[in-house]
Amino acid sequence: MDSLLQHLERFSEVLAVSRTTHVSTWDAATVRRALQWARYLRHVHRRFGRHARIRKALERRLQNQWKQEGGSGPAPALGLTNFQALGHCDLLLSLRLLANRALGDAAFHYLLQELFPGPGVPGAEEGMLQDSLALLARRRAAVHMLRSGAYRENPVLQEDSLMKTQAELLLERLQEVGEAHAEGPGRFLSRLWEHLPHNNFLKVTAAALLLPPSSPRHQEEESELGSPRRAGEQGRELLHWLLGKSEVIAAFCRNLPAGLLTSVAGRHPEVSRVYLGLLTDWGRHLHYDLQKGIWIGTESYDVPWEELYGRFQSLCQAPPPLKDEVLTTLKSCKAQDGDFEVPGLSIWTDLLLALESGA
Amino acid sequence: MAQDSIGLSSDYQFWMQKLSVWKQASTLETQQDICLYLPQFQEFLRQMYEALKEMDSNTVIERFPTIGQLLAKTCRNPFVLAYDESQKILIWCLCCLINKDPQNSGESQLNSWTRGLLSRILAAFRSDIKEVDLFTQGLGYAPADYYPGLLKNMVLSLVSELRENHLNGFNTQSRMAPERVRSLSRVCVPLVTLPDFEPLVEALLTYHGQEPQEMLWPEFFDAVNEAFLLRKICLPVSAVLCLWLRHLPSLEKAVLHLFEKLVSSERNCLRRIECFMKDSLLSFPLQPEAACHPAIFRVVDEMFRYALLETEGAPEVLAAMQVFTRCFVEALEKENQQPKFALKTYFPYASPSLVMVLLQRPKDIPQGLWHRPLKRISEMLKEIVEDETQGSSGGPFESWFLLAHFGGWADIAAEQLLTSVGDAEPPEALLWLLAFSSSPGDGPQQRAQTMVEVKAVLSHLGRLLGSPTPSARDLLAAAGESGEGDPRPPACQQLTRRLLLNFLLWAPGGRAMARDVITLMARTDEIMHEIVGFLDQTLYRWDHLGVDAPGSRKLARELLAELRGQA
Repeated sequence: MDSLLQHLERFSEVLAVSRTTHVSTWDAATVRRALQWARYLRHVHRRFGRHARIRKALERRLQNQWKQEGGSGPAPALGLTNFQALGHCDLLLSLRLLANRALGDAAFHYLLQELFPGPGVPGAEEGMLQDSLALLARRRAAVHMLRSGAYRENPVLQEDSLMKTQAELLLERLQEVGEAHAEGPGRFLSRLWEHLPHNNFLKVTAAALLLPPSSPRHQEEESELGSPRRAGEQGRELLHWLLGKSEVIAAFCRNLPAGLLTSVAGRHPEVSRVYLGLLTDWGRHLHYDLQKGIWIGTESYDVPWEELYGRFQSLCQAPPPLKDEVLTTLKSCKAQDGDFEVPGLSIWTDLLLALESGA
Repeated sequence: MAQDSIGLSSDYQFWMQKLSVWKQASTLETQQDICLYLPQFQEFLRQMYEALKEMDSNTVIERFPTIGQLLAKTCRNPFVLAYDESQKILIWCLCCLINKDPQNSGESQLNSWTRGLLSRILAAFRSDIKEVDLFTQGLGYAPADYYPGLLKNMVLSLVSELRENHLNGFNTQSRMAPERVRSLSRVCVPLVTLPDFEPLVEALLTYHGQEPQEMLWPEFFDAVNEAFLLRKICLPVSAVLCLWLRHLPSLEKAVLHLFEKLVSSERNCLRRIECFMKDSLLSFPLQPEAACHPAIFRVVDEMFRYALLETEGAPEVLAAMQVFTRCFVEALEKENQQPKFALKTYFPYASPSLVMVLLQRPKDIPQGLWHRPLKRISEMLKEIVEDETQGSSGGPFESWFLLAHFGGWADIAAEQLLTSVGDAEPPEALLWLLAFSSSPGDGPQQRAQTMVEVKAVLSHLGRLLGSPTPSARDLLAAAGESGEGDPRPPACQQLTRRLLLNFLLWAPGGRAMARDVITLMARTDEIMHEIVGFLDQTLYRWDHLGVDAPGSRKLARELLAELRGQA
């Protein structure tokens, strides 16, 4: 067991180094050793896949890297992150080395010989890596062809393939992080929020919250990266973090399209509560301009009437209980303001009037 | 070899030019052209690799100075990269350019440039959306990690769009415009063998749009059919049916593929032919939904017709057709009791009442009563064939072709004649049927002559039954098998041989002289072949009819094994 863990540690180091310029010191022998270790670990994966104890021990060791606070810069310098990754660790290593310009010519030449032995090795161990790499190239071409040919971005954001894929990846990472450390997901998400473009991040979050819940992970299943596992649990972690960060949830509710938010609110009642709270807040910032006859805000960041109305309209098209909740909220706000029926006195009255006539 | 290298050089020029025209496959015309040439280009790449791997990188440049351009252009062509194994062979070619110990800056540069290309195909994926890249990097994923998942999602999304189109038949705002469906089918051409694409291929095959004309690209159907016949893709029956009904050339190719295989491998073994047909992909015509589909049945039937005409009644084709028909009949029965289509849709040239009789299964009729349907069949056929004034369509060939589908009846007629030999006069009807089936083109006089000959043989054989120990020579003499210079036409000789063999199997003294008779009879390979075929067919028929004749069966099996062993 110990030697196995040591092997794992050593290989993780090798994998981490494989992306750096340090490989310039590698020669053919080093490359050979690295590939051998990778092959050995792949063998371990195959042999001990069903062996719960060994698998657990290996996973725990791999998850150690999540516990480190390091995280300098946006992208974690990752090696192997879970047991499933062992199943194709040779592929990971090969791809990194192939892309690394620092690798010397002689070492690179040796690498190519190992990876691409040529025809005539069907089904053998050596041939497998060659076929996997070719398959990757083929898939890449396929994605390219689909995108430039027949593919269109899906107007329903949460069903768009790119969004879905990113969402699935996010949840997958959150699960690994969560398994390593209870506080992990929250910190991880905060770090992402700090470093990544917000708009895309928020969209992905919404898409992730709308992913269909899936069955629990099967232990012997080969994990195809990107497939949703335990979307329910990670969804909760994500939600918890989202709701706990006022800055994030405000941006979430402000910047995402109305339809998307309605879907999220419909699925997650906690979000609908916060959303409605924010909407009522924003509504209160507007005042009635008698001359122009419209509701306007004073600051540049105030939400304009049209947008407010658009969001409420979208919410009212949702199925109950959300729809009812929204109407109740609007009516109670209207009552607090004095329950006027005449327009121009309470924004809530006007909104309700507009919604009724629009409906 | 010098010869090969000359050929390679001229090919090289050709493909260089092609690649320049194709560029990045962005227009419709270039895409169409590329799809036509994908298999040949892959073959060229293979040949290039075979040449390159013998050279070191400097020799490569000397020999093919513009190789860099060729490979770079190939790398930029997504259709080529997406096809079959082209990307793998391309990588092998690039590997040949790498110098493990560059001596000067030129060599280093070549290395660097080649590594760039390799990297580009393999490692440096980039989605063209910056935020997605940033996001995935932020999560710590390399593009290679998520590409399979992304592809899967894209395929699923497209499939659901196609299905939605299908369900919302009257929805004018159908989600996928016909032009997009067409371009999607184009994109699929190089990718039909990629497992991730199977759901999409299936969805396209079963897609029915609003437009009256076919929206899918014909090359798409060809590509799917090729892949299917070579077993590189798995499709459900419904999808294959759609393929064949929408694109008849595919069905034709599939049946031709079957014929080729049959003719080359499974001679003279009906059971193996049956297994082969049932197991092979081509069993699809024999699956109930497919076999009972009139369009498919008719196309396959037509092909059998032409094959028989071309090969002048080759036994393999006949056998295959009989197996096909048997499976068809089984399929018809499975369709409850009322077939969906009238018999006329399957056999438009034949009289329905004749077809009804032919379709009867001998198994369902007690053996003693077999003479009745036989008589009916014979009479009805005789009426059609000999009634020239009616101008029956197709003449005797059509009738013979119909009968040949249900080959068992003629064989049963022969057997019946044999087993009742020595009793009464052989029924004219049976004689006529036998004469007709072995030689449909005969005029009425010729046929009458044949019938007389057969009657004579039968009566000789009948007399031999009575004698205590007939010898092989006696038997042959009785049958008029005089060896060389037999004046009778070949079909008549064949018929005689058949009767003799039947006699051997059924007569009590047959076992003793079987081997001798056969040795004397089999003067040529063709005749030997014919004898083996006869034994095989007989056993096959007995198995299916459940004929109870243990002695005959045993003899037949033994003989068959011995003769096969000799071959």
